[in-house]
Amino acid sequence: MTTNSIALTSAQPGTKKPISLPLNIFLLVVRSLTTLLRTPEALLPPIAISIFFLVIYQSTLGKAAGFIPGIGGSYLGFILPLSIVSGSLSGSGIAAQNLVRDIERGYFDKLLLTPVRRSALLLAPILAGAVILGVQAAIVVAVGLLLGLKLATGFPGLLAVIGLGVLLGIGFAGFTVSAALGSGSAAATQGASFLFFPLTFLAPTFVPLALLSGWLKVAATINPITYVLEAMRSLLNTGWDGKAIGTSILACLVLAIAMYALAAFALAVRTRRT
Amino acid sequence: MNDRTITVENLVKTYPGKVMAVQGVNFQVEPGSIFGFLGPNGAGKSTTIKILTTLALPTSGKATVGGFDVVSQATEVRRVAGVALQDVGIDPLMKSMELLVLQGRLFGASRGEAVARAKELLELVQLSDASDRRVGTYSGGMRRRLDLAMALVHQPKVLFLDEPTTGLDPVSRRDVWREVRRLNRELGITIFLTTQYLEEADELADQIAIIVGGKIVTEGSPAKLKAAMGEESINLVFDTPELAEKGRSMLETMGDRVQLDRDMVRLYLSKAAGSIPTVVNRLQEKGLAPISLTLTQPTLDDVFLQVTGQRLVATEVQNQKKASRTSRKAEVN
Repeated sequence: MTTNSIALTSAQPGTKKPISLPLNIFLLVVRSLTTLLRTPEALLPPIAISIFFLVIYQSTLGKAAGFIPGIGGSYLGFILPLSIVSGSLSGSGIAAQNLVRDIERGYFDKLLLTPVRRSALLLAPILAGAVILGVQAAIVVAVGLLLGLKLATGFPGLLAVIGLGVLLGIGFAGFTVSAALGSGSAAATQGASFLFFPLTFLAPTFVPLALLSGWLKVAATINPITYVLEAMRSLLNTGWDGKAIGTSILACLVLAIAMYALAAFALAVRTRRT
Repeated sequence: MNDRTITVENLVKTYPGKVMAVQGVNFQVEPGSIFGFLGPNGAGKSTTIKILTTLALPTSGKATVGGFDVVSQATEVRRVAGVALQDVGIDPLMKSMELLVLQGRLFGASRGEAVARAKELLELVQLSDASDRRVGTYSGGMRRRLDLAMALVHQPKVLFLDEPTTGLDPVSRRDVWREVRRLNRELGITIFLTTQYLEEADELADQIAIIVGGKIVTEGSPAKLKAAMGEESINLVFDTPELAEKGRSMLETMGDRVQLDRDMVRLYLSKAAGSIPTVVNRLQEKGLAPISLTLTQPTLDDVFLQVTGQRLVATEVQNQKKASRTSRKAEVN
């Protein structure tokens, strides 16, 4: 540090105007993805679990499925959506992972001391998580194709299935991000993503909705996962069903908006100067 | 109001549970100067720096940084202030180049500008060779230097450094000092630095405030504070604290002031050197012989001892001393 005599004048960022929200988000999403790719140990388990379930269900129930009425196509097309949805749930914790590390390491404070938009701090991890979920869903779909998945709606239908998986994941990511902001602890955030696990089964998981009864049917009716599963199944097994797709998108949006509001509240509490 | 000034008026911070971390602090930092905020752990240094850097709100009182109010103009304060906090807040998975570029872009620089600035700063803090390594692999000193570079990305006019050298080895510490001085002299950045090390404050600061228990107990330039202590002192070390106490009572009338610190007596008086024979004679009359006699100019340590009644010795320095003693023993064996 002795011989340097740099002018230190090449840039004057201190005098610049605040940057736009999209650029803010873009910069932070890139940063999130960069670090996520450096922790493959966190990315692989959700994919492995999704594929594991897909193969297990297909092998154990694939033959018996003929006895279940209303599946309306191949059992693989019926069960693959479950695999994608459970991947979206277990993968939604990825979004909060960077955030919790930033809070624990103090980098979050450092970001707060820049003119960064507060909403970008929230949206960036969620969107970075969504990118990861999209890749994950694509891998599961690819495995499905290898297992002999037949498509009622072709390639566009596959994209729609992946898109729905991502959209659902965004809602759940909003929840894990809230948990990260609220707790500031990696363990608590991890725990929060396990809360979703039962939700997968309060849905027409193994049989069509029409075969459910009693309280389970009530629970399934208010569970957004139900609508996502049904829309995905129709895309894979029966064909384009505008109503099912519309309902599932609506269910995902309601969930995502509610969870974003929760996350925004958690952020406000965390960044409240006391 | 100069854009490099810091003013603090009647600043109070009470935490829930009625812990009064800062109790009515007042000071002003002149533009382009280095201000040393000195005090032991838990004295209120970090709380003050958090308020000044907009991470915490004061309970009452007023503070401005670069002419902007830290409560109502937090965004403006963040633009003029650079901050390196005590716990180095950097993501271990990122590389230093990435961190600096992101920081620059968040402050509004284009990608090209941010990259140029990052290169410049990495060179400045001598991390160019490590720019492509994950920060998790850096040593403590390297992280501290990176943190300093990050605080400088947006060319702040005021720089806050919270215990910038705590935990660093002596060589890295001198590097940081040199850098701080250079930033101040060459770029005219006003520097507010907290420290537990008297040596550090003495070395760097133009003005010093000593904070203990949330209150400023004294402030002024190092020279002025030392001068206020009396000119010079004769330090006499005795075999036991009891003998030292005897010595103290005998010398009480001789100088401006006498202080007892375990087995050491400090006699403060002007023209100390000329008084040595008289002091020694006086002690000998009563059969007291000190085992050592030294003459010192007052240090900030003395200032601290005088205003707080305790020594400000950071535990780490003691540990280092212990460690070096142990290693010396090992060599002998």
